[in-house]
Amino acid sequence: MRLYRKEGNIIEILSFPNESVEKGDYLLIEDAEAQKALIAQVIDVQFANIPGILEELLRSLPDGGGIIQGEDVDPLEIAPHITYIQDSRLLICKIRATVEGEHLSPSTSWLPSRSQSSIKKLPIATLLKLAKVNGSLPITLGVTKENSLLTIDATSLDGKLNIITGKKETGKSHLSKLLITSLLQYKAVVVVLDLNGEYAGLGFTSDGKRNAYYNKIHVLTPAQNFKVALKQLHLNVILNILIHALHLPGTSAREFRRIWQFLKDKGCLTLHELGEAIRNWNCNQNVRDALFSRYHALVNSGFFTDNVAEANLLEECLLKAREEGGAIIINMRNTSPIDRQIVVEYVLGKLVELLTSWRLKAVFLFAEEAHLYLRETYWDDIVTRMRHFGIFTTFITNQPDTIRENIYRQADNIFLFNFTNEHDLEVVSRAARVDAETVKSIARDLPPHHCLVLGKVVRDFPIVVKVRALDVKTMGETRLFFSGVHTDGTSQTLSVAPYSVGENS
Amino acid sequence: MQPIPLSPKPEPTTIAAVDTSSIKLGETSKGIIIAVRGTTIWKRGKNYAYLRVGPFIFHITEDNLQEVYKTLLRAYFPEQNPQGAPGFIQIPVRMANLLERWLQASLAKTMRDGIILFDGSLTAGTPDTPVQQLKEILAAARDMGNTVLAFTKVTTLRFNGCLLTEAFPAYKPPCLIEVANIKPKPPLTLLGEVYVAKLARGNYAFRLDIDRELPAQERVEAVERLLGNDLIMQGYPETLRLAHILCTFTANEVIAMQHFIQHRYRLKIIDRPDMHKLLFGPFGKGESHHEAV
Repeated sequence: MRLYRKEGNIIEILSFPNESVEKGDYLLIEDAEAQKALIAQVIDVQFANIPGILEELLRSLPDGGGIIQGEDVDPLEIAPHITYIQDSRLLICKIRATVEGEHLSPSTSWLPSRSQSSIKKLPIATLLKLAKVNGSLPITLGVTKENSLLTIDATSLDGKLNIITGKKETGKSHLSKLLITSLLQYKAVVVVLDLNGEYAGLGFTSDGKRNAYYNKIHVLTPAQNFKVALKQLHLNVILNILIHALHLPGTSAREFRRIWQFLKDKGCLTLHELGEAIRNWNCNQNVRDALFSRYHALVNSGFFTDNVAEANLLEECLLKAREEGGAIIINMRNTSPIDRQIVVEYVLGKLVELLTSWRLKAVFLFAEEAHLYLRETYWDDIVTRMRHFGIFTTFITNQPDTIRENIYRQADNIFLFNFTNEHDLEVVSRAARVDAETVKSIARDLPPHHCLVLGKVVRDFPIVVKVRALDVKTMGETRLFFSGVHTDGTSQTLSVAPYSVGENS
Repeated sequence: MQPIPLSPKPEPTTIAAVDTSSIKLGETSKGIIIAVRGTTIWKRGKNYAYLRVGPFIFHITEDNLQEVYKTLLRAYFPEQNPQGAPGFIQIPVRMANLLERWLQASLAKTMRDGIILFDGSLTAGTPDTPVQQLKEILAAARDMGNTVLAFTKVTTLRFNGCLLTEAFPAYKPPCLIEVANIKPKPPLTLLGEVYVAKLARGNYAFRLDIDRELPAQERVEAVERLLGNDLIMQGYPETLRLAHILCTFTANEVIAMQHFIQHRYRLKIIDRPDMHKLLFGPFGKGESHHEAV
């Protein structure tokens, strides 16, 4: 390989056919005299612009069709040299760092010698060692292209904002399950806002047996085993639900506050009493109607109960998880959009309450397709205010444009799966921790289950990893029409009886 | 002068053509490094096929110039008296000519009842085309039932003050215009009858030399068979165009050959300063080759 050109932090390297270099590989450009080396990552592989190549290709197709048949008598065997030149490639590389001795620095202000530099592939394992991508709490994400393990440190997820994104069926949920179970090993408290019931099987192996995490997984399904008694609710939480999830106007909210206070003072905060209080409250009819409609929405959600024994305490689960670690899965698979918002408002309100009172140290929140249940104002809240309380969020989405640009800007880690759509790549490339060229070039060619890891977990050295398998029960699969239907058209479960003339005639 | 109208004769005939090319790859402290390559191409039915020989790379120095040239001449044309070797400047072209004549001779002796297309005229008596050599090639072709048609892309011959190829704009193609009474200065000898060939629309005309030992009718018929068996694009036979295309060195091949000599003979390529550019700056046209190996 030879150094060809540098422009900005893009370096172009001429590579020959016998040198196997692919997108995503790291190269070490060593200048012995300067006693320094550049670390560059290949973000694109192009054909070198060889003069005369067009003529060469054109003359092999003279009559606009088949290749002309012929024999070459080439006594000096020049042909392999021609092929060698023709197949030479230009590696477009992004400079990532400078190595001086054992130290890495992000400086790219120097230029290695074009004629004297030696260029070689830098194994990912060596790079990770140089960059000190390890630590006391290792999480093995999978294997790199070179079959070396990519192990990140759990502390690099601590206090961070993460995004897992990629198109459908590329392995996003799988990676988030891997991160959740790995965090559980280190006694972390995890809350999962599970839109499709995919995480309910985390406590089971693929063949349905209990696994090591069984006792740490608490699946809460709203209106089933997850209900809340009004008296357990803080006024702020219920007001947030009414205002943000059920869009209660300000005037009505003020009346509700009074009603709530009245009932609380009386010591009878129940659904029934709340309904009665609204009915009998001395207020404008329109306010009453507004309050009644919201009241019925609360009742119909099935999430609220007057029976304290029936109410599963989220707080209890969280405090239990505080000691040995645990994951609270909020299974919203069969929950309607409005009810989802009610549940999420409650969960987030409860988390903030527990965290501000220091009854919980910190929580890792995993939110799948958050735009479907997270209100507008929460986005900024999550990345700024809630982070300080100790809510460290990981967003998982296949629609990157549903996450606001400022979230990308502030994301500490991005786990990027395959995207082919230019628009999606454009959105992700706005992340501050990575350059647009790397995202666009590498993410487009990622095979399924391969992920481009960006950010602090890899010390800003983008690395492609094949996410390792995980023995947990798969849940929330897409229901298919043709599954179980034989090629002859008969179904495994529904047998279609042959048409009998005798029966109908 | 009356044009001879032509009508394509589709009777199956093999059309073959030969072309060679040479290039200077660089200079050494003792001489120059050149490469030559030749192509024979033939069309049978609808298919083209080729045989390409080379590239042959030579390091020509003042010391070995005579020896290299005469050794090759003796090898290719043993009956021919070795004349003086060309000078340094002409050597790439002369080596290519030598290869071209050998390929032409081989084709003339091995092909039967076909049409052989040469690039250039049938003028002999020049240092690179001795009369005897060309006569033997034409005789061998005739013995095998072949007809040699030699196309010249650019001619200096004039008719009534006009360039020969521009003198007959009104004649409708396809046609031949016989140009009689051309008397070259000795020692030059014409071994062919000279025609202006207008084979396709678009005012493309070429000088065409046809073996003069053949009867006039056979000469015209040969062109008609060419029309009936080959593609004629812009008045030029496709077979001959392909021969040229396949033997020409592309920039890519030149780099590959330089790569080869660099590795095989441990030569280092350096960029020699371009004196034109050095002295005249933007007014200097630059030398065509200023690479030294």
